[in-house]
Amino acid sequence: MGELAVDKHVQYIVSIDKKKDSFESVVMDHLRMNGAYWGLTTLDLLGKLDSINAGEVVSWTMECQHESGGFSGNIGHDPHILYTLSAVQVLALFNKLDVLDIDKVATYIAGLQNEEGSFSGDMWGEVDTRFSYIAICCLSILRCLDKINVEKAVGYILSCKNLDGGFGCTPGGESHAGQIFCCVGALAITGSLHHVDKDLLGWWLCERQVKSGGLNGRPEKLPDVCYSWWVLSSLIMIDRVHWIDKEKLVKFILDCQDLENGGISDRPDDAVDVFHTYFGVAGLSLLEYPGLKAVDPAYALPVDVINRIFFGR
Amino acid sequence: MDLLNQLETILESDPLIDEVGLIHPSQFVTLSNECGESGNSSVDDAFGPTDTKFWNRDHKLGISTEVLLPLCKAAKSAFMDAMKQYKMHSNLSDDKHEDENIVIDSLLSCQSFEHEVMKHSRALLLLSCDFGTAWNARKLLVLKKPQLSVFTDELFLSTLVLSYSPKSEQAWSHRRWVIKMIAGNCLNLQQIVAKESELVKKIAERSKMNYRAWNHRCWLVSYMTREQMLHELKRSRDWAGLHVADNSCFHYRRLLILRIIESKPNKQDGNFSYDVEKYQVLKEELELNEVLIKRYIGREALWLHRRFLSLCWIRHLTTMCGISCHSEQKTSVDNEINIFLDKEFCLLDSCSLIQDTEFEDFKAQAMYSAVYFVWLIKKIPQFRKIEMHEKLKVGNLKNILHKTCSERSFLLDILEER
Repeated sequence: MGELAVDKHVQYIVSIDKKKDSFESVVMDHLRMNGAYWGLTTLDLLGKLDSINAGEVVSWTMECQHESGGFSGNIGHDPHILYTLSAVQVLALFNKLDVLDIDKVATYIAGLQNEEGSFSGDMWGEVDTRFSYIAICCLSILRCLDKINVEKAVGYILSCKNLDGGFGCTPGGESHAGQIFCCVGALAITGSLHHVDKDLLGWWLCERQVKSGGLNGRPEKLPDVCYSWWVLSSLIMIDRVHWIDKEKLVKFILDCQDLENGGISDRPDDAVDVFHTYFGVAGLSLLEYPGLKAVDPAYALPVDVINRIFFGR
Repeated sequence: MDLLNQLETILESDPLIDEVGLIHPSQFVTLSNECGESGNSSVDDAFGPTDTKFWNRDHKLGISTEVLLPLCKAAKSAFMDAMKQYKMHSNLSDDKHEDENIVIDSLLSCQSFEHEVMKHSRALLLLSCDFGTAWNARKLLVLKKPQLSVFTDELFLSTLVLSYSPKSEQAWSHRRWVIKMIAGNCLNLQQIVAKESELVKKIAERSKMNYRAWNHRCWLVSYMTREQMLHELKRSRDWAGLHVADNSCFHYRRLLILRIIESKPNKQDGNFSYDVEKYQVLKEELELNEVLIKRYIGREALWLHRRFLSLCWIRHLTTMCGISCHSEQKTSVDNEINIFLDKEFCLLDSCSLIQDTEFEDFKAQAMYSAVYFVWLIKKIPQFRKIEMHEKLKVGNLKNILHKTCSERSFLLDILEER
């Protein structure tokens, strides 16, 4: 089994920002804030956050803030809750939450809560349990969960639970590992995990592991490195991670590395991207791979960053 | 003519384009030859064989992969500029000016910028389907002229984008926004819902296990009448049989079944006909599932579907008994449950035999059937009572689990816990 090519991955992430002219980077331009979070968190987990100029990132991030308080995916775009969490996470990584007008951001997020407890992604009203997680995670980092009706928010998430133990986007939506992460994460942050049948959900999540050791996100799908994060973090939060074969999963993730140019792909021999590089490294961190910083399964940030926020280190 | 202009001219001259795709430059020759043979009667010869950037015929549009990057950049900057101008002028026309001429001027230029925004956002979204700000700009402008035809145009654009990017989250979300906007005062909502459902079916055919597409179909259920749900269940039956690995389709059927079971009758319909229908729906689905399980060996989605159905079936039988607690009825329900349990034992017996070790399928079938049984034991109390008397079967079950999925030892723990 190969090892994690730390230096190559650092090189790869640092280089992404310079390749502004490829088609990929042009069509990903509108979600650059997510990209920044994936890339920078990876660097931090690898212990190499200092290879990036913090000042530049922070001022760019703040330029993406809209007058409503929300953040956009890049300068000049519309704000959305998806990018607001990434922006807050990026600032948290650099210990720069103090540049934020916290009340303004919190008001933006709280304003997106709907009557039945759900959250819209932005002013246009699409509802999804992903947005519930984002709202709860973000407000918790900003330490103002009291701005929303937590009880109703939890109630809505629970209304999206299926008979198989999993969760979907909205009530009646199909269980999906990504949505499960969001719902379990939100329940964990709000101290509501007692509402989950851990054996049942753990069972569904474990059945995501396929022969190669990789995890898929839904029945009958191919394995994909990103589910190393969604499934694994959920299993850890409900204390059932010992139900899967961790060694095989480590091997699967390592097999998805591009050993020549750095980066991690969805499956062995596919093209790499920053999204899968992050989820691969974060997955390995959850699997306690040597040399990596520990990552918090609910907040998706390095544990030391979380400790700094909640315990002042 | 510059690239963006060329694309936008094509889109404007052929508003019925219903499919977009990327073409490699080398494919242009082949396409032109094919068309040459079938008679070159197209009206858009300007963009015909001599053009190797765009291909437009029979309301299909092909874009050369070679021009994709410059085109995308041009569309983005044109859209962003138009939007900036539009915002500036709409702020001006909102302000109360003493001078009427200024107001009229800015209103006029506002309209022309609206047109620009709509034109460039359309081109941009065909190239970069999840560019949220462009979808939002359209929503903003549509709300200024909230007519049904304008809303249907948006559905049409979303369909066009989906023809090229069937997983585009933003394109699906835009449809939901449109439908929410028109649902309130729309006379033919049922018709729209049916059309949407048909669209998902068509897209799911080309784009397998597409979560976003099926999620949209699930979302539609909340707008359906009970009649429509029953119809949808019937309509997706054959499709499910032909796509047994598509868990999303089975999930859609689960949702329909759940909503049908939960539905409460009007006064005139009466409880009885509804109960008969619920019974029928569940029984038919169980039968279909068994047929498929036996026909397609070792399919995960089919066995997961069965877990759901068994649970619903037992719950349905026991609640029916709960409502009318005549002892006669209770006996018949108990009978029905026993018959079901016996049938499931037979199914396990027939599926747990690994007939052929050369193919993985039989092993998978044995594993899924055994795990299904663990599920029944865990979730259905009636099962626990019975298997007390059937120690041998539990031993057998452990044996299969050990042989087929030794790595999932937690299943054995669950069995022990009973």
